[in-house]
Amino acid sequence: MGIRQGGFQRKSKASDEIPSSSMADIAFLLLIFFMVTTVFQEDKDRPIDWAQAEATKKIDEKKKDILNIWVERDGTVWMNDRLYAMEEITPVIGPMYAASDRHLLISIRADREVAYLQIDQLQKQLVAAGVVRVVFATELERRMTRERR
Amino acid sequence: MAVLNNKKSKVNDEIPSASMADIAFLLLIFFLVTTVFPKDSGLAIVLPEEAETVEVNQKNILHIIIQPTGIVDLKRGESTQVQQVRPSDIESIWRQAVAENPLLIAAVKTHPEASYKFMIDVLDALHLAGAIRVSLQLFEG
Repeated sequence: MGIRQGGFQRKSKASDEIPSSSMADIAFLLLIFFMVTTVFQEDKDRPIDWAQAEATKKIDEKKKDILNIWVERDGTVWMNDRLYAMEEITPVIGPMYAASDRHLLISIRADREVAYLQIDQLQKQLVAAGVVRVVFATELERRMTRERR
Repeated sequence: MAVLNNKKSKVNDEIPSASMADIAFLLLIFFLVTTVFPKDSGLAIVLPEEAETVEVNQKNILHIIIQPTGIVDLKRGESTQVQQVRPSDIESIWRQAVAENPLLIAAVKTHPEASYKFMIDVLDALHLAGAIRVSLQLFEG
């Protein structure tokens, strides 16, 4: 009996519990795996000079509900890393806007030096697509740097 | 002497590594919480619905005409008198004008060749003054 008990004790000591010292390593491994494999659906920034405004407000909308339309200095229009002609905007945005249940918010990111004719045409295309909510994306102008009268 | 030395070295042999992971997680969570992603920001406007034209009494319109040079011409309602101002002056002008006539609508007419930034300057001033009824148009003639 005494011998058997001793034998049991020894056995239970060998596989007492799951080794927890490497648990953190496993957690980190999982974390890094998911960090590396996650892909964010976002278009790349186009090279533009941002317009600046003091009244700039943050847009309270989910990223997936915002569509960026970039207008570069030469007047070319880009959406989701693709070049579009001005006339293509209505047929492209129209179905997108309907699919989003009219939640889509258009963020116009135009170069500050672009001629207003481009912006007006873009607005007319958006109106034709039925879009209502539009934001002129701007950088917040620092009050300090602006000369006060 | 030798025995004493042995005991001492056994006590603080190495840094305890059991809590290292906890420290790492703490740092991770700290940075997760303190990181702020740049949010989109800008001037929000509402575009009119298609074929939505509203006749507005001329005296309720403040015409803001933006020239290619960035100079802003102001024209009040029916009067043909044109006043040249800077975009930064519009904020106070709008506040004054809307106090006189609460039904006032700002018609921002931008010349096709004027830079986008001039229109943004004017729109910025109007937003700062709390203007809601703003109409963006192309200046013709």
